[in-house]
Amino acid sequence: MNRSGLLFPGLFATFAISLSVMVFAPYSQIGTLAPDFKEEDGAISDVYPNAVAGLPEVGKRVYVSQGCQACHTQIVRSNLSADIKRGWGARRTVARDYVLEKGAAFGSTRLGPDLSNLGSESWRNEPIGDLDKPAKRDAQWHYLHLYNPLAINKYSIMPAYSHLFEVRKVSGLGSPEALVLPKESAPEAGFEVVPSADAKALVAYLASLNRSHPLKEAGAVSVAQKK
Amino acid sequence: MSEVTAPLHTAQAPVAQISAPVEQDTRPAIDRSIRSVVTSLFATGVVWLLLSTLLSFVSAIKLQYPAFLNYSFLSYGRVTPAADFTLAYGWSALGLIGVAIWVLMRLSKRVAIGKGIACLGVGLWNLGLLIGTVSILVGEMRPFNGLEMPLSSAVLIFAGFSLVALWILLSLRVTESGLSIGALFIVGGLLWFGWSFLTGNLLTSCPSMRGATEQVIATWVSHGFIWLFLAPVALGVAYFLIPKVTGQPLYSGPLGRICFWLYFLVGGLTCMTGLSGGPIPLWLQSVSAAATILLLVPVAGSVFNLLTTASSSPLTKVSPAANFTRFGLVVFVSAAALSAISSFRSVSFAVHFTLFPMGVKLLLLQGFVGMVVFGAIYFIMPRLSGCEWISSSLIKIHFLCAAYGAAMGGAMLVLSGTFAGIDLADSGVAFSQSMQSSAFFYWGRTLSFALLGIAYAAFTLHFLLMVFRIGQPEGEATLLKGSHGH
Repeated sequence: MNRSGLLFPGLFATFAISLSVMVFAPYSQIGTLAPDFKEEDGAISDVYPNAVAGLPEVGKRVYVSQGCQACHTQIVRSNLSADIKRGWGARRTVARDYVLEKGAAFGSTRLGPDLSNLGSESWRNEPIGDLDKPAKRDAQWHYLHLYNPLAINKYSIMPAYSHLFEVRKVSGLGSPEALVLPKESAPEAGFEVVPSADAKALVAYLASLNRSHPLKEAGAVSVAQKK
Repeated sequence: MSEVTAPLHTAQAPVAQISAPVEQDTRPAIDRSIRSVVTSLFATGVVWLLLSTLLSFVSAIKLQYPAFLNYSFLSYGRVTPAADFTLAYGWSALGLIGVAIWVLMRLSKRVAIGKGIACLGVGLWNLGLLIGTVSILVGEMRPFNGLEMPLSSAVLIFAGFSLVALWILLSLRVTESGLSIGALFIVGGLLWFGWSFLTGNLLTSCPSMRGATEQVIATWVSHGFIWLFLAPVALGVAYFLIPKVTGQPLYSGPLGRICFWLYFLVGGLTCMTGLSGGPIPLWLQSVSAAATILLLVPVAGSVFNLLTTASSSPLTKVSPAANFTRFGLVVFVSAAALSAISSFRSVSFAVHFTLFPMGVKLLLLQGFVGMVVFGAIYFIMPRLSGCEWISSSLIKIHFLCAAYGAAMGGAMLVLSGTFAGIDLADSGVAFSQSMQSSAFFYWGRTLSFALLGIAYAAFTLHFLLMVFRIGQPEGEATLLKGSHGH
């Protein structure tokens, strides 16, 4: 090519176009969103989203460090997908949901269910009426599920996160935090399984996941779905 | 087949004479001046390739037997990004840069100087890889798909790249005939990587970049790494190799140039397919989807151009370089077509979060980029080592296992993703049931990594022999078939 002089400016132009369209344009649109709130008589209420803080914040680091995002997403898509019908959320998630998060764990593959709203009471991963749906997914349920997923779902392909737990000798009356385990996954007599600090933080984070607060840009949410 | 029996060197002579009648004698000197840099890139690349294949194999088994090797540092969520990282940033990038250096230096017809800078660069890049891999395995990672390595590792990789790039720029000379199409693609890809990796990592570490925007930037970098760095550089290598090996002029120069500009212009707008359906502006998803479909034009145009060039020479069938490259090109156009299909909105909503995209990535990295690098190494190493590959059987084993492994691995992931996607789109099917219906294909995927392992072991053995200059005497190219088969 005799016009080699055009190569660098030309290539840089394609790069600049890509950077402007793919990065700067969306930044100007969604990068500077502020949390949503209600204002009545000068009083601000109903602020959403709130920053992840305290134990859940530690738990989020555990979540990312364990690589949970390799199999779990935190994105609920619109009704063109089955995400909402599956019970993963009352509405699709939008940019404002994540606006306070540094390093939001979007995930890219669903070998497990979406967890955007895992902490919400209406979250489910079973079809309506399925008898496998647990009565509630409380901390005990999460501990058991993390310690041995097969104890909850015999078809689960989730690995056991037993390294987040300590198997130790029972002393005295035993720890109040000890897991109530079914016979197949229980340790030998005289031993108990207790969650580590990481497991506690992780479960606190999972329980805090709730992106179902109504937002205008996410479309109307019916009252029935909200509850 | 009588012309096939001619040594490969003789067959290329006409091309070389057309392009460089005067300076032919400098070629051995150029090769000597870059030997240590290129060989060290290949050698360290191969180490990462073996590690990555092992990690991928473990990751594939884990999907079938979650309790397999259940140690925290080998959990699925860590071993999978570590396998991806060592494959993309380790083997694919190092191998390609090695090939790119050789091609550019040959084209610029000048003996390279100051290779110490480049060697330091290779060292820094490898240090970055080591830190990145260990960090991911112990859980120090960023939650960005394809950009999990911590910032320290990214900084070292960028520093290493900058030194190598600086060395290339210092040594490169644009000859009177200008840059060939192959060189255009290679230079374009290298520049893109430097620019986007720097910009993206700087932006993501900026505190004001949060939430969806931060993911947008990370996706832009990781998508660009594959589609605008690895893929165009590999394509550029193919543009160089095919005419060189077959002794045929490129079918169409103007088509090649149009494809080059179109590829970078359109390719730069495909980056957000990784976030399709996500919490980003809808127009952004539409632009990416449209661009991904349009990208088929320069990809198919280039592949057509190259395959037509190759088809007119009988050497295509027997030259290892041509065989590997042709296979890679066919996979490239298939992967681009799969990407295009999956960017249609209805398809995207079904398969986006399944293993489908992972299948496309596997096809691109193992089936296209990897195969082109192997082909190029089969061509380059004899010139660097001064001897020919010792066994055409080893090359055949490598080719067959690598080709079937990559094609099967990609196909299994794509099929598994398709079936899972159909089930997941139906909210009446329980989630765990949708995972089971696709699990059948996991067997094929695990097997495909075993095949790839055999292929790469055969290659490594052969490569080591070449490094220690154990091979056939120089002058008689090792071909796949015909009287020169051994």
